[in-house]
Amino acid sequence: MRPIFFTIGLIFGTLHSAQAQDTGTPFQDILQTHAGEVAKPSRRSVSVVLDDLIAAGLPQTTEFLEEWSARNVWQDIDGTFFIVTSEGDQLGLRDVDSGAESRGDKRDFTQIRPNGGVRRVIGTALVQFQLSDPDLARRETALVSIARKPEAAQLAPLLASIDGEQDAGLKARKVQLANFLSARFADAPEDRIAAIESLSKDTSVEARSVLNQILTVKSGLAKDLPEGNIARVLDPTVAPDAFYQQLIDADLAPIRTPPTVVRAALEANIVEGRVADIPVAQLDTDEARNRAYARLAEAGTVPQLVTNVYRDAALSEHVFYEIYNEENAEITAAAEAALKSVEARVGWAQTADLALDGLSLASIYFLAAIGLAITFGVMGVINMAHGEFIMMGAYTGYVVQLFIPDYTVSIIVALPLAFAITFGAGVTMERLVIRHLYHRPLETLLATFGISIALQQLAKNIFGTQARPLTSPDWLDGALVFSDVIQISYIRIAIFVLALLFLGLILFVLKRTRLGLEVRAVTQNPGMAASMGINPDRINMLTFGLGSGIAGIAGVAIGLYAKVTSEMGADYIVQSFMTVVVGGVGNVWGTLAGASMIGFLQKGIEWLNPSNTLAAQTYMILFIILFIQFRPKGIVALKGRAAAD
Amino acid sequence: MSMLLEVSGVTVTFDGFRAINNLSINFAEPELRAIIGPNGAGKTTFMDIVTGKTKPDKGRVIWGEKNMSLLGMSESQIAMEGIGRKFQKPTVFEDQTVRQNLAMALKNPRGAFAVLMHKKTAANGARIEAIAEEIGLLGELRRSAGELSHGQKQWLEIGMLLAQEPRLLLVDEPAAGMTTEEREKTTDILRRAAETRAVVVVEHDMEFVRRLACKVTVLHEGSVLAEGSLDHVTSNPDVIEVYLGRANA
Amino acid sequence: MKNTFIAQNPSVLWFLAALGLFTFGVTMLSEVTGVGVISTSFVKTLGKTLCLCLIAIAMDVVWGYCGILSLGHFAFFGIGGYAVGMWLMYARTEGIVLESLTSQTIPPTPQEITDAIGNQIFGVVGSAEFPMIWAFADSLFLQLLMVVLVPGLLALVFGWLAFRSRVTGVYLSILTQAMTLALSLYLFQNDSGLRGNNGLSGLQNIPGFKATPQATISIIFFIASAAALALGYVFFAWVVSGKMGSVVKGIRDNEARVRFLGYHVESYKLFIFTITAIVSGIAGALYYPQAGIINPGEIAPIASIYLAVWVAIGGRGRLYGAVIGAAFVSLMSSWFTGGGAPSIPLGFYTVEWTDWWLVLLGFSFVTVTLFFPKGIGGLFDYLVRKPS
Repeated sequence: MRPIFFTIGLIFGTLHSAQAQDTGTPFQDILQTHAGEVAKPSRRSVSVVLDDLIAAGLPQTTEFLEEWSARNVWQDIDGTFFIVTSEGDQLGLRDVDSGAESRGDKRDFTQIRPNGGVRRVIGTALVQFQLSDPDLARRETALVSIARKPEAAQLAPLLASIDGEQDAGLKARKVQLANFLSARFADAPEDRIAAIESLSKDTSVEARSVLNQILTVKSGLAKDLPEGNIARVLDPTVAPDAFYQQLIDADLAPIRTPPTVVRAALEANIVEGRVADIPVAQLDTDEARNRAYARLAEAGTVPQLVTNVYRDAALSEHVFYEIYNEENAEITAAAEAALKSVEARVGWAQTADLALDGLSLASIYFLAAIGLAITFGVMGVINMAHGEFIMMGAYTGYVVQLFIPDYTVSIIVALPLAFAITFGAGVTMERLVIRHLYHRPLETLLATFGISIALQQLAKNIFGTQARPLTSPDWLDGALVFSDVIQISYIRIAIFVLALLFLGLILFVLKRTRLGLEVRAVTQNPGMAASMGINPDRINMLTFGLGSGIAGIAGVAIGLYAKVTSEMGADYIVQSFMTVVVGGVGNVWGTLAGASMIGFLQKGIEWLNPSNTLAAQTYMILFIILFIQFRPKGIVALKGRAAAD
Repeated sequence: MSMLLEVSGVTVTFDGFRAINNLSINFAEPELRAIIGPNGAGKTTFMDIVTGKTKPDKGRVIWGEKNMSLLGMSESQIAMEGIGRKFQKPTVFEDQTVRQNLAMALKNPRGAFAVLMHKKTAANGARIEAIAEEIGLLGELRRSAGELSHGQKQWLEIGMLLAQEPRLLLVDEPAAGMTTEEREKTTDILRRAAETRAVVVVEHDMEFVRRLACKVTVLHEGSVLAEGSLDHVTSNPDVIEVYLGRANA
Repeated sequence: MKNTFIAQNPSVLWFLAALGLFTFGVTMLSEVTGVGVISTSFVKTLGKTLCLCLIAIAMDVVWGYCGILSLGHFAFFGIGGYAVGMWLMYARTEGIVLESLTSQTIPPTPQEITDAIGNQIFGVVGSAEFPMIWAFADSLFLQLLMVVLVPGLLALVFGWLAFRSRVTGVYLSILTQAMTLALSLYLFQNDSGLRGNNGLSGLQNIPGFKATPQATISIIFFIASAAALALGYVFFAWVVSGKMGSVVKGIRDNEARVRFLGYHVESYKLFIFTITAIVSGIAGALYYPQAGIINPGEIAPIASIYLAVWVAIGGRGRLYGAVIGAAFVSLMSSWFTGGGAPSIPLGFYTVEWTDWWLVLLGFSFVTVTLFFPKGIGGLFDYLVRKPS
């Protein structure tokens, strides 16, 4: 709400009078003094108006400037300026001084249309007012607009507005922004250096861009190194052609004669099957062609041949350098130092961010692999269809969402349902197939592979080949932001939490329950376990069901952040096996160690070679192959006679 | 009689459990020796160490006239040095004939290329037949090893060890699951084998050990408890304590 | 020696006779002789199938006889294909480039020729430079050497590492699968130097035989594949017979026993792994000129698992079993997925075999593993009594 400073009650039409001052219309009066400039503003003339308005310091200025810039100021036949609040045949009008509302026929008014350049100038001037505007939102907007396009002129008003700032958060931002501006635009070099040094602890993108702005360079070349704040001298031999091109651009050297030019020149000068007396048939080497070209050049037919030798000589006669746009060497030195310190901090922050990425990838691998670790590690059964159980879990989630539109509810339903379905599938598979293949592990591998391709194709037949979405609830959108560099999406946090839950759950089941005791007994000595009244068949069935059920839940989790396709299981199966093998078979902690190693390693390699995730995966697999050479039993190895058998 | 194998001060630990504890034991050539001891006394682990399957934490295993250390040698190298081992369960190659089983074990070059280029010779054939006769399987040479009875498999495995022409034969419970008649035959084979080489028999069955009529070493908790004739060790109070201790308590 | 070997393995003679008859029959019925009962494309399919039979017997030797379930032999197959494909593609492009350059007024320099070839081959991945690995692409002899050397060396190094640290059983399978995955992922990159996922193409055009019709070329490759299969069969039959066979089967059945008999098990495994890898490479080198195109997808781990499936369905531990399995399953596959098999209308749903073949294959594979562990070849045991 705009406060009203002047009494309302003056009638429309009496506003415009010779004794404006007396009638209490100071703002309209200033406008009228510059009526021509206000009505038809140009970039140059508008500053006169602005200067006067600023000098007068009237409270109406901000609103007027805003409306002016927004093309909402109209002029009536008498030349009086009004702010138009609503358009149509009848305009809604507001008095620039009193704020009194009235109406008028559109035909009696002309709209004032400042162009883009003028509006920018107005905008800049406006900022100064907005910075101290009573409205918090306006102050914020002003700050944002300064930050977007910092200019020297904004420094003084910004500094002036700091003291009066009431809002603590905004004040801090003003101080920070003032600091950025001081670093670049303060008059005294000491002030700038002080500001620059204060930036050396700020890892924000803006602070880095301020420092980079100070350190902008332009490159140059000359016979001798000129005076000035030289950033560095460049070595032209690292990219001779590029540097020679600079010489050509500067008209300091002739254009190169590449083989295509030589060839064209020779073709243009064939005389009776000979070029410069050399038969055309002999011109099938670069050497012969250059010789012919040289002869043509001697005869003056073509320009001189510029070879690499000539190029290198020209390069050595010149010095290539970069010079700072900032002339004060102390300032650039301070900025370089500050940037270096900032970059070191950013490096740490990036490492932390990478660690978070690695952690979330490790959680995914852990979820995908833990079910496998149970079936493979505890039972010694290799289940190639494990990936397809993950896929089944993900499709369960998708189908549930078709029926339950509420994403939160559907996920809560999908998790146990996925477990139930894949648990059932696992138990069925164990009863029908795997039970008959204990002691034939390689054949289990092949039989389950058969099931894997059949399930994959079935999923393709039912759901089609295109990826299906599994949408996460709204509260999992977005990311937890620590700083400009460190952030992690909520889905990944959720997956991490889920992985932790499962780690706890599985440890609990294996170590603290009757089932876990029986599972361990059967694992260690099935014959003895059977003689003690444990039914190994039942235990195997339950274990396999448990491992498969966990795969189903992992499928829902993975489906939330990746697409659900019939081939998604195949994408995880090799990694899952490697996770189990690397970690050490038969041990939940081993799987955790394996997943962590593979997750962090993959992120690490991707960081080293960010452009190429395929290469990262390749190197990671090679690393794992080598790792297994040195620790064939994995990170957490079982020792003793049990392991040797 | 010269020392063939000298095991001294050997210790092996599995996850904190000392399977072999400062064990010292020697074998001469030729010699027939029985090793007895309760479950977990370290009999099998002792054989694992000598044949290179398990590496001890400390101690020495010295072999032959040249005092060669067996530690650090691979299983196949040790086997080539002349130590043969028979497993507790009969392990013969069931898919192959008795003749093929024996031919594989015959002392011949073991390199892959030599084996690839190997030709049957009359001399090898004669050796196979001699061994088959020794173990009583001459009539079964063309049969598949999988078709043999349990006892025959045990003999075939002993035959394969003999075909290796080892200087030391480690035999793990050869009489397990055999009929009395088969046991007698096994005893005969082992005693004849021990006339020219060292044969070490690990056995549970006292009756069988008695029939071997040889020097006996009693292992307990990974070290030697007593050594001597069977009558000597069975009268040793420590041995009685170990074997019958639980009954007394 | 040969005499005793053949005398002891009469099945080898039977196999050779059957293969010879088959080759002769197909040649006679092909378009080359004018009969044309068998189309050129089907001759190619048969020729490719023979190559698959060759790699299948290699797989049988390494798995069925030596007990190493390698999930990496199709990678060696692919490497063989790439090695020969590099020469085919280079030489053919060179021919095209030379032809186009002769029309110019000035004869081309060697550099111009190389640049033009590079542009033709690598333009598709945005490059024109020849990577290092193409250094020998202009020489048929050297590339053929690569067919043998690269799979052989890779298998030697990988096998040495794996066997030395006693990685066995399913661990070894997973490790070989990882190796295959790494290789295919590597080849999928555009800067691998082998045209990324475009792979190598146009391999059916044999340089220097431009005028020869595809019908003739296909028969030549068909006969060459049959000859390679015959040689491979005899070679492997020789390897797995006699004492080598005894040791190798011994390793499969009880590795520790063989070790305590004094055999250095690792070198035997390495020997088998490496020679089967080399034969796989040769099979690939014959296969891909008939297929016409090779890309990294061919090397994906699943291909190697299919190889194991063929051998298991055909029957492990017998070479003819592998041949039967590979031929049967791969021909069935192309019949079903090629639309050859009639759809089954069920009223409410029509079973299209292109969609359901993999389901059928998957479940029949489970059935074979469960109930017929000896595979199709096992049936022969009932029919033919081996002389013992």
